Amino acid sequence: MTFRTVLTTCSALAVLGISAGFIHAQNYEAAPGISTMEQRLQDDVLRFNATVNTEVDDDVLELGRLVAMGGSEAGDSGMACITCHGGDGAGDGSGAFPRLAGQAGWYTYKQLKDYASGDRQNRVMSGIAKKLTEEEMEAVAAYYATISAPYTPPLGDVDGMTLQWGGQLGAVGSAERGVPACVNCHGPSGLGNPPSVPYLAGQYASYMAHQLQMWKEGKRDNDVNNVMSAIAKKMTSKDIEAVSAYYNRVRPTQPLPPETSPLLEPSTAPTQ
Amino acid sequence: MARTLPKTDVLIIGGGWTGLTAAYELAHAGQRCVVLERGKKRHTATSFSAPEEHDELKYAHRYSHMMDVKKETLTIRNNRDQQALPMRRLGSFLPGSGLGGAGIHWNGQLWRPLPSDLQMRSHYEERYGKDFIGPDVSVQDWGVTYEELEPHLDFFERICGTAGVAGNLGGEARPGGNVFEGPRSADYPNPPMQQPISNTLFGEAAARMGLNPFPMPSANVTKAYVNPYGAQLHPCTYCGFCERFGCGYYAKADPIICVYDRIKDHENFEIRFDAQVLRIEKSEDGKTATGAVYLDENGEEVFQPADTICMNAYALWNVHLMLVSGLGKPYDPKTRTGVVGRNYAYQTVAGVDAFFDDSVKTDPYMGAGALGVVIDDYNGDNFDHSDLGFVGGGYIACKQYHGRPIGYQPVPEGTPKWGAEWKQAVRENYNHHADLVVHGSSVSTPENYLDLDPTWTDAYGRPLLRMTFDFPENDRKMSDYVMQRAMEVAREMDNVTSVSGTNLAAVDKHYDIVPYQTTHNVGGAVIGTDPETSVVNRYGQMWDHHNVFVFGACLFPQNLGYNPTGPLMGLAYWTLEHMKRDYLPNPGPLMDA
Repeated sequence: MTFRTVLTTCSALAVLGISAGFIHAQNYEAAPGISTMEQRLQDDVLRFNATVNTEVDDDVLELGRLVAMGGSEAGDSGMACITCHGGDGAGDGSGAFPRLAGQAGWYTYKQLKDYASGDRQNRVMSGIAKKLTEEEMEAVAAYYATISAPYTPPLGDVDGMTLQWGGQLGAVGSAERGVPACVNCHGPSGLGNPPSVPYLAGQYASYMAHQLQMWKEGKRDNDVNNVMSAIAKKMTSKDIEAVSAYYNRVRPTQPLPPETSPLLEPSTAPTQ
Repeated sequence: MARTLPKTDVLIIGGGWTGLTAAYELAHAGQRCVVLERGKKRHTATSFSAPEEHDELKYAHRYSHMMDVKKETLTIRNNRDQQALPMRRLGSFLPGSGLGGAGIHWNGQLWRPLPSDLQMRSHYEERYGKDFIGPDVSVQDWGVTYEELEPHLDFFERICGTAGVAGNLGGEARPGGNVFEGPRSADYPNPPMQQPISNTLFGEAAARMGLNPFPMPSANVTKAYVNPYGAQLHPCTYCGFCERFGCGYYAKADPIICVYDRIKDHENFEIRFDAQVLRIEKSEDGKTATGAVYLDENGEEVFQPADTICMNAYALWNVHLMLVSGLGKPYDPKTRTGVVGRNYAYQTVAGVDAFFDDSVKTDPYMGAGALGVVIDDYNGDNFDHSDLGFVGGGYIACKQYHGRPIGYQPVPEGTPKWGAEWKQAVRENYNHHADLVVHGSSVSTPENYLDLDPTWTDAYGRPLLRMTFDFPENDRKMSDYVMQRAMEVAREMDNVTSVSGTNLAAVDKHYDIVPYQTTHNVGGAVIGTDPETSVVNRYGQMWDHHNVFVFGACLFPQNLGYNPTGPLMGLAYWTLEHMKRDYLPNPGPLMDA
């Protein structure tokens, strides 16, 4: 039942994606080189994001890159990560597969462990995860934590009221339904709270909505703090749609260069 | 002249744990209830979400959830020879304001009194002789027994989804729980919290010494849980922002999610915010109260008449409201007569710091308000007091409730207070510290009391409450004795390199209102069976005005060696049961004076 739901959702979205023309072929070129990643690891914030149980060095990143590109050493898994998640971790644009770029390393590692043990259910991912060694799981998780990827424009139209409701649920929750705000754990603007709490900002709406639905129905229950099922059970389908659509559109903020700040350009300000 | 509103059945003054609970129970019993809350409306989901809520400076150090002392405060002195001065900043204790009251920023440590605690005078006299309690100690029995309160203590534990291990289930000892507690009718509704390394090492050391460690009973919930009112609570994330903060995770039981959300839409329930009660009015014969005058949100004086009045403010402000309204007879320390303001007591707190070598990393930022391992071997009369020269005791807990950057900078004894050496010590010790507390009882005495200040007034022109308090000799001895026992356990802990203790009630120290100690002010309007020594009878009903019922820690005749929320909520449900069953069908005194 679970598997059929997953596959139906995926194929429906794949069709949507193709018709919208957003799916792009995966290639190795999108993946950054080891030297680029090492450079990025000099940043303390990124280094913390990449935390797994072992020290992340260039050997670990190299192994992670190999796993992402070619799958496990043991083989037989059928496919490498890039097939669906992209070499840059942006997914394939269809929204059926989650974005992994910049995701908290330990979180991704734990998901692989849970897929392998059955604590998180997914026919495709379980088969893949079971083939990975402990080192490969850590390495590929650290690899995706370290890289960045462009954002695909969100699929489909969402009305303003839905987005506003999603933003409200994210920022302050719902007193009426007893839903705590997402930002409690997922950080300001849903940017994540490494090592254990994933980011939501920029995640595909269809993926996120599907996960919330699974939590609501008790089909997924593997979060460290064991809070997601209780929260999702209080959310309606509309809540789930709204919050997923909202976070799909949130981007990590980049400070505006001073010259583009409207405050510093009185000439362009309204004269009344 | 105040504008008079239509009469209501029950007027409830204060929208915290006891006030909202009174409204829930009485509204369901068919009574039209009006709650007056001096503070603002706020909600757990919308007002207490991280990351904004995790602003340590704003909430922990600038007290954004607490009462505004520019409007109301008290004056303080150590003895009757001194001139009392106003408390112009919060410090020693932190009363709340706004929906939920101090129940929003509590830690969630949820205790029961020991059976002998509730019969303190008769218990000690029976065990140690009539003269064991000296003339300068005015402790007395509560007039209500543990057996009578037990169903109510149990019910409140279920309201909060309390996490713990029963040590005495229906008289049968249970391993891992508190072996000293009174018999429970049911186990805790949720399993205990997961303990961090420092608490675990404390428990192991205590067990090696033949003591009886157990996990602290906690209203930081450990599983998704639905309480008897239908409120849904979520599991704790051990974020370390409990005390002084609201919990946007729905994991710390608070009066908004546990009670208010479940009553707010009831036809018999109404709550008014920004409603500052000024005084309670009495009937011409003085035998009953007729209602309360308050300032509404526009600053207009309004009189709300009611058949029954429930006083549900913070302990000190209930006493203040009685004194400014002329309810009950004020206590006079010179003649030792009168009752309102009598038997005020505080709490006697000592701390022990233990530091580990580098092999033990404590991760203090992983914490929760009631995350602790406790021994109760030196609490109440759980140990032989024959040769000790004091009564009472306290629990010893190793707890890990926060590792916040401003407030948590533990350094070993002898470290300079500032400068490079201090910074170095903070860096070296932050992750290697065990935080032990002795949470001690406090006896009441004839010289520690509350009355109205002759000099100072509040923003509404009323005399301020005046507190006359210093630590009683009994409590100084007790606190030192139990702190020494805590230091023995600390030294027994594995990998400990240094141990130091701080007793805030040491022999050479006077009570000081500046450093934070505890918000557990008690007494001043105490419960009992004799109108000469109590303000309310054993049902919480005022002896002098039968339609006034009093709630909260102001009822405690002396302080327990425990946090007060569990005991005072047990009393609240006890009072509400008797109001519903006995008083409302036939209003009048529930006991003969």
